[in-house]
Amino acid sequence: MTIRFLRNKVVEVEPQSDGSLSVSWRLSDDLLKAEVNLKVQLPDLEIVDAEAELERHVPRAWHSAGELIKKMKGVRIGSGLRKIVQGLLGGPDGCALLAHAVLESANAVILNFTRPVVQAGEKLEGEEKLESIREMVKANPRLIRSCVAFQDDSPIMQGLDL
Amino acid sequence: MITLNRSHVISGEFLNAQTIRFNGIQDDHIYSMEITMDVRISDGEILAIEGKMKRYTNSFCPQAEPILQTAVGMSLREEGWERRVMKEIGRKGCEHFAEIITECGHCLDQARLSEAMWESLQNDPGLDQEQFIQSWIDGHPEIQLA
Repeated sequence: MTIRFLRNKVVEVEPQSDGSLSVSWRLSDDLLKAEVNLKVQLPDLEIVDAEAELERHVPRAWHSAGELIKKMKGVRIGSGLRKIVQGLLGGPDGCALLAHAVLESANAVILNFTRPVVQAGEKLEGEEKLESIREMVKANPRLIRSCVAFQDDSPIMQGLDL
Repeated sequence: MITLNRSHVISGEFLNAQTIRFNGIQDDHIYSMEITMDVRISDGEILAIEGKMKRYTNSFCPQAEPILQTAVGMSLREEGWERRVMKEIGRKGCEHFAEIITECGHCLDQARLSEAMWESLQNDPGLDQEQFIQSWIDGHPEIQLA
């Protein structure tokens, strides 16, 4: 059976020569085409530039997306971001699509820093690998109970005195 | 160079007038996951769900696959549904599965609108598409476009 709807989304992180990160978020589906570009300054992960463009069939309520996204300038990617984004881009005068774009872009930035850690762990096996995951949990307590692998009864968590 | 790329592909197949089947794929440099789920169009209730983990970070991740079944009965329209999906499927199972379900949920009304416009265009190729969309949105107060 043919499908009647298809959405493609991609978010890319590209380190720049000045030390910042360019984050490009794009969406295309049957009705909507959207692009959000953020520039993120290290080390404090501050969003120093933000642009958005919506095309194709844009709901009237989202026509101000290009202006709305500028509210993200100066916001740092870190704890509390979800509430900040909801406050700046959510609500009846906001744009839910932009809020999702910013949060997914921020998540991609975090994943960008996670990738080398995961790759380093791939060389390990058995108890050594478990120990490296435990070290990661110690360094990132937010991981505790964040998924099935980090529940209290998981072999990863057993032996951790947190 | 690009050091992290994450892609989502979500398709919507209308099985009949009451049910849409979503297939969602999340693929990035670290993870690769897929969800297929049937959703009742009228109230957004998840009727059936299957998930497949193709690439993940540790051997405990696949234990999240059976936890997916707790999504059956959840509604993609109820107040706070995204938080509930992340809590019940993400925190207790796998946040990547939860992210795919959430993305499918965001596509529910967009897929309905696409279907409605496709059908209208079959009858009237010269349809004023902008006007059609705004009328459809105005006539469906339940929708959550994202």
